[in-house]
Amino acid sequence: MVDVYHPKTLEEALQFRSSTGAVPFSGGTDIMVRYRTSHGVLPDLPWPIVLLGHLKELQYLRLRKGSLCIGAETTLTDVMDHELTPPLLKQAIGLMAAPALRNLGTLAGNIGNASPAGDAVCALIALDASIELASPRGRRVVSLDLFIVGPGRTILAEDELITEIIVPIGEGHISWYKKVGTRRANALSKLSVSADWAVDDNVLTHVRIALGAVAPVVLRCRDIEDDMTGMKLPEIALQREDLMNRYKCSITPIDDQRSSAAYRKQAASNLVGAVLDEMTGGR
Amino acid sequence: MNEIHCRINGTDYTFSFPGERRLLDVLREDLQLTAAKEGCGEGECGACSVLKDRRVVNSCMIPVAAVEGCEIMTLEGFRQTPEGRCIVEAFSDSGAVQCGFCTPGMVMAAASLLFENPDPSEVQIRTALSGNLCRCTGYDMIVQGVRLAAERGRGLW
Amino acid sequence: MKERISSPVRRVDAYEKAGGYARYIADIPFDHLLYGKLVRTSIQRGRITGIALPDLPEGYRFISEGDIPPGGVNQINMITSDWPVFTTGEVRFCGQTIGLLVGPDRQVLHELHKAVAVTYDIEEGSSTIEEGLACRGGAFVGEDNIYVEHRLKKGDPDAAFSQADRIIEDVIETGFQEHVYMEPQGITVEYSNGQLVFHASCQCPFYIRKAVAPSVAMNLEDIIVHQVTTGGAFGGKEHFPDIIASALAVAAVAIQQPIQVVFERREDISYTPKRHPSQIIFRTALDRNNRIIAMDVDARINAGAYQSCSAVVLQRTMFSANSVYDLPNVSIRGRAVATNTVPSDAFRGFGAPQGIFAAEMHMSHVARLVGEEESEFKRRCFLKQGGRTVTNGTIHEQVLLEQMWQDISLESGYYEKLKSNPSGSFRGIGVSYYLHGGGFTGNGEQALIDSHVRLKGMKDGRVELLLSTVEMGQGLATTYRKIVASALGIDISRTIFLDPSTNRVPDSGPTVASRSIMVVGRLLQRAALQLKTCWDGTREETVEIGYEHPPWVEWNQETLQGDAYPAYSWGICVTEVEVDRASFEVETKGVWTIHEVGRAIDEQIVHGQVNGGVIQALGYASLEKLELKEGRFYQNTLADYMIPTSLDFPPVYSKLVENPYEYGPFGAKGLGELVFDGAAASFAAAVQHAIGRPVGRIPVTPEYIMELMSDE
Ligand SMILES: Cc1cc2nc3c(=O)[nH]c(=O)nc-3n(C[C@H](O)[C@H](O)[C@H](O)COP(=O)(O)OP(=O)(O)OC[C@H]3O[C@@H](n4cnc5c(N)ncnc54)[C@H](O)[C@@H]3O)c2cc1C
Ligand code: FES
Ligand code: FES
Repeated sequence: MVDVYHPKTLEEALQFRSSTGAVPFSGGTDIMVRYRTSHGVLPDLPWPIVLLGHLKELQYLRLRKGSLCIGAETTLTDVMDHELTPPLLKQAIGLMAAPALRNLGTLAGNIGNASPAGDAVCALIALDASIELASPRGRRVVSLDLFIVGPGRTILAEDELITEIIVPIGEGHISWYKKVGTRRANALSKLSVSADWAVDDNVLTHVRIALGAVAPVVLRCRDIEDDMTGMKLPEIALQREDLMNRYKCSITPIDDQRSSAAYRKQAASNLVGAVLDEMTGGR
Repeated sequence: MNEIHCRINGTDYTFSFPGERRLLDVLREDLQLTAAKEGCGEGECGACSVLKDRRVVNSCMIPVAAVEGCEIMTLEGFRQTPEGRCIVEAFSDSGAVQCGFCTPGMVMAAASLLFENPDPSEVQIRTALSGNLCRCTGYDMIVQGVRLAAERGRGLW
Repeated sequence: MKERISSPVRRVDAYEKAGGYARYIADIPFDHLLYGKLVRTSIQRGRITGIALPDLPEGYRFISEGDIPPGGVNQINMITSDWPVFTTGEVRFCGQTIGLLVGPDRQVLHELHKAVAVTYDIEEGSSTIEEGLACRGGAFVGEDNIYVEHRLKKGDPDAAFSQADRIIEDVIETGFQEHVYMEPQGITVEYSNGQLVFHASCQCPFYIRKAVAPSVAMNLEDIIVHQVTTGGAFGGKEHFPDIIASALAVAAVAIQQPIQVVFERREDISYTPKRHPSQIIFRTALDRNNRIIAMDVDARINAGAYQSCSAVVLQRTMFSANSVYDLPNVSIRGRAVATNTVPSDAFRGFGAPQGIFAAEMHMSHVARLVGEEESEFKRRCFLKQGGRTVTNGTIHEQVLLEQMWQDISLESGYYEKLKSNPSGSFRGIGVSYYLHGGGFTGNGEQALIDSHVRLKGMKDGRVELLLSTVEMGQGLATTYRKIVASALGIDISRTIFLDPSTNRVPDSGPTVASRSIMVVGRLLQRAALQLKTCWDGTREETVEIGYEHPPWVEWNQETLQGDAYPAYSWGICVTEVEVDRASFEVETKGVWTIHEVGRAIDEQIVHGQVNGGVIQALGYASLEKLELKEGRFYQNTLADYMIPTSLDFPPVYSKLVENPYEYGPFGAKGLGELVFDGAAASFAAAVQHAIGRPVGRIPVTPEYIMELMSDE
């Protein structure tokens, strides 16, 4: 049995967290699976928890200074259904778990879980999202890409909570999403690809390609993105195979119960090819 | 947290269980509300589906403390309502039920869908049921059951 | 106007299930209930050297071999008695029962269970058929790890092979499949006044009774088994409940309080039996005109660590190894191979799906190699009435496959799609033809089962059906009542069917082998017709009748020659797929089926079986990968073992053709397994067409397709 805190406000939540070391608990859809035991037996939670999923003050979507700000405790369903949500994120969430789970799960949880297979994380990283962290000491904003440092590892401080997800609105951006799951619905990713780019006068002016489940963290290859930026589309089309290969060489997938490293490498590179085709109108 | 207050099937309850206890266990063991089943205990099968504030959720994933202030509806409560009767009848007529173990969860998932969308398409129905595994029916007749409930229940949702 | 028997009625159990009123084993309260948790082996093979238990608080017990009462034996009485109730020394697989922890509080049990420490001498074990045959780590069954071996011969294959113009070799493999009945295994036992009473989620109440009796040295009459509402079974609750019940029996006699064991899903996937993996090797001889003149088949199935029903499963695999084809010269060798894996067991189809998958794929490979369109190639070899089976039996009924093909090929647009999507175009269409023999193999119905049913006419004009075949989702409560009501000419509401209990009903046999309607339903029909002659609905009258074998069926169990089944049901499945060029994921675009099951007792129930069986088979064909890693199943949760969801496959087109069978009730034949038998091959054939390469095993995962594509 552990202590379970049910704060009334974010402020109270931060107090519980900093004074007791309680672990943040949003939808619980990761935590309850990880520490599940058996029917009639309590989950084997190793630490006290502070419940956050009910905090209305962290459930919102609003525009602020050219960015979409999403309250960290907004359920996946509400994020997905909202008109302000970018299509890439909608698509990614739409393929996460199933409705009942999406009614519980949150973006904060998907981020806090720090899985390389986190689908919302993959889309958010392609969208250059950052997150706001709050603690009794104050608030800071960090790039999501830098927040997650390894499988299950983040730079969240002992007294911090994720409170907001900030997604810059890329006017005129084009996006592409593909999840290869273990089946068509209610499945975890074998791999996923999120891409977001912009073209001006046949020149690629902005590009982000994030690959999920092919490395210890959701992967972006900044060097390749930098090289592509400023290139003319026909040039990219010409370098298709080369770019695919560079991605293939950058990823370090593993064999697990869901798929094989060899497959992940091949499929990831093929999907990068599909992104490039979409970008350049090729194939 | 000392006490948990919530409303289940229209009745107010105050619990003093360990807060991390699963809602599913509380329903099944303390309240003998056994319509919700445990098929996996990890969010995969949907057999434990109940409504939390009119939306379907997996009760095996919810620590009871998290339903503080919420309204929970299980099939025992739902089947007393006109909407509940409509779905139960439509499922029965459509061949949606075989072994029946998945069925209470399916009914709750269907309810959640129809509350949001009284006239769903086939894809919307299939999507709404995609977290509820059924090993017997192959799903087609469940989909038909939901459609029949939508048709018969026009104006109800 | 008289209603057709096939016209659907609302299932009698639908409302109570849809309304959540039905009670499954975990829903039924018992006073003073104790819970049991099995302590199991955690290694694949070796010997137990020590068991260290934590201090057990008062009220908690660890039940093991030493608790078997005087006169009892440490054996479960199944088809064979090789499987012990409690493992003592030898460990044959990971997950064998060592003992049962029993106590009132599951939280405490959980902690105790974690604290049990078992030490072992670990030995090398075998997981695959190859490893079993190679006796990896030394043979543990006989000298060669073979439980049973059979050979069949039709015609003169040796002579035909010597005249062959061309010989084609092929290996077809299938993997494990987990049942995933949505309700995990569960049994509660009570003990009072010298009687053991089981409440079980099960298919075969009388099997449990027989299985546990020797371990507690009790008379069969003192063991009562109530079947409770069962949340799916598919063969998985045919024998495995015996394993749980035996340990529970010993515990209940020792403790004399009600005890319940309900599995967790992970436990269920990790430690309960699976469908037998198979490896079937073909050598096929063709003449100059590319006609098959002979086929040699070597079928091996992975039976696991104890025999259970593998001998009979093997027979079905062998008898199905030519699918619906009448080939002139055939030799078939079959072996059930022992490995250190969870014993394989019954699963919808009972060996036939493996044989049919192999035969269908091999035939399509041969067609491809000789450059013929596969449906044409296969159809030339169709069995016909009077044709000969691989056991040299006769097909007695009219075979409607050709007519069914005309119908379903049009409906599915097979030929146009074949033309518009050439091989290798990433779109493909595939077909499989299949059959399933109804009832027990060979003389099983007479020799092993000898089933009886009883009808009790009551004073109030109602009739109770008393028999042991169970409702487990397939609709028997409805179809049985329909049969009796129709035969008696009364309304179905005047019939009663309760979940059986061994002390109330005669033994109508287990709920297996597509026998429940064809064989047992026929008994009910006969009993009803007899009751009709002697009961007027105002007084009590009971009729009990037993099985009679169709007189024209000839079978020799020693030589496995003759009519292996009195009648067959038939089916065709067409599947259309599209393969993603980047991810190799397969999207199923359409599924069309046509089945001949004699006559449908209820069309809605039959279409429901078709849909469920086909989707389960498509899961087997595409998603349900189950691998072993050091003797443990690697995909042991529903997050990793993938069964189809509502979005994985499109609606299944299902059509029925009638061909009434004289010895079935109202002409009905077997159904439940047939509908599983064919879809896997049609899916694999469609993928094969789409990618332009032969597919030799299931599941056809994107990873496997990538492997096939990388040979370029
Ligand atoms: C059946 C099933 C299917 C799933 N399918 C998918 C899928 O398709 N794709 C996918 O990506 N995931 C999937 N998941 C995983 C999970 O649902 C998601 O990761 C979800 O977004 C987690 O959100 P949550 O609120 O439930 O997290 P929780 O379980 O509450 O938390 C997860 C982690 O985040 C931390 N955390 C939570 N809130 C905060 C906060 N405010 N500040 C700091 N840290 C916090 C927690 O401490 C914990 O470490 C699935 C899970 C299940 C059970
Ligand atoms: S029991 Fe809750 S989802 Fe399976
Ligand atoms: S009816 Fe049996 S699992 Fe759905």
